[in-house]
Amino acid sequence: MPEDHVKIKKFEQKEWIKENISYHKDSGNWAWIYHRITGIALIGYLFLHIYSLSTLTGGREVFESKMQSFTSPLFMALEWILLIFVLFHSLNGIRIVLVDWADGARYHKTLYRISWIAGIILFLAMGYIMFSHEILKLFGK
Amino acid sequence: MYRYQSSKNSGATSWVLQRISGLALVVLMIGHYILMHYTPDSGHTYDAVLGRMQFSWYRIIDLVFVTLGLYHGLNGIWGIFRDYKLKPWLKMSILTSLFILGIAFLAWGYNIIFSIPYLNNITLK
Repeated sequence: MPEDHVKIKKFEQKEWIKENISYHKDSGNWAWIYHRITGIALIGYLFLHIYSLSTLTGGREVFESKMQSFTSPLFMALEWILLIFVLFHSLNGIRIVLVDWADGARYHKTLYRISWIAGIILFLAMGYIMFSHEILKLFGK
Repeated sequence: MYRYQSSKNSGATSWVLQRISGLALVVLMIGHYILMHYTPDSGHTYDAVLGRMQFSWYRIIDLVFVTLGLYHGLNGIWGIFRDYKLKPWLKMSILTSLFILGIAFLAWGYNIIFSIPYLNNITLK
């Protein structure tokens, strides 16, 4: 019987970190992992965003001094990372909707590759259009 | 068949709403990014915000945006918790905490939007 030779690997609960890392992952697994990480980060950012905009109630000086504190290179880098996270979560979100509602399970790997290519193009395009003033500032113009 | 009270809810409604709100957020996010980052000033000065908020449509869009964003985000967090086999009391505590968190930040966000004054005499550029 062929079944006798097939060794079924058991998931060791005690070694769950090692088991999860060693598990072979294809595009779908990575999409799921990244979607989760970016999602958690984005809801965290939304809370931060509401908090930082709450200075609007205090009037011009309070708001603009708060905005000034977000112009440091650290926050500029975080803003770029935010754009990457938003793009991934949006494009993969569209991919999920297509998988659910447009028979996307048949072509979800292609969709995953397309969403990465579209994401990189959109990152460069939107990054250039919207953050071009930051690029100029970084290079001392 | 249903062992717990909570299993009567299949989660289908929240699943559909998660997709609809997600698609709406993609559209809103494109507009938001262009509006806030097209020029350095458009998103980050008090005058720009004040000028924009004179139009009630911007306020309505922002109200919808913050509502959908919080719903989608917290429903997503709840979805993560639902992946694990949690004790019913823990499930209910997490759900209640997320609900309170959502209501609090929603009220905070609404309060910010409504606190921006309408000006009587302004010249709009």
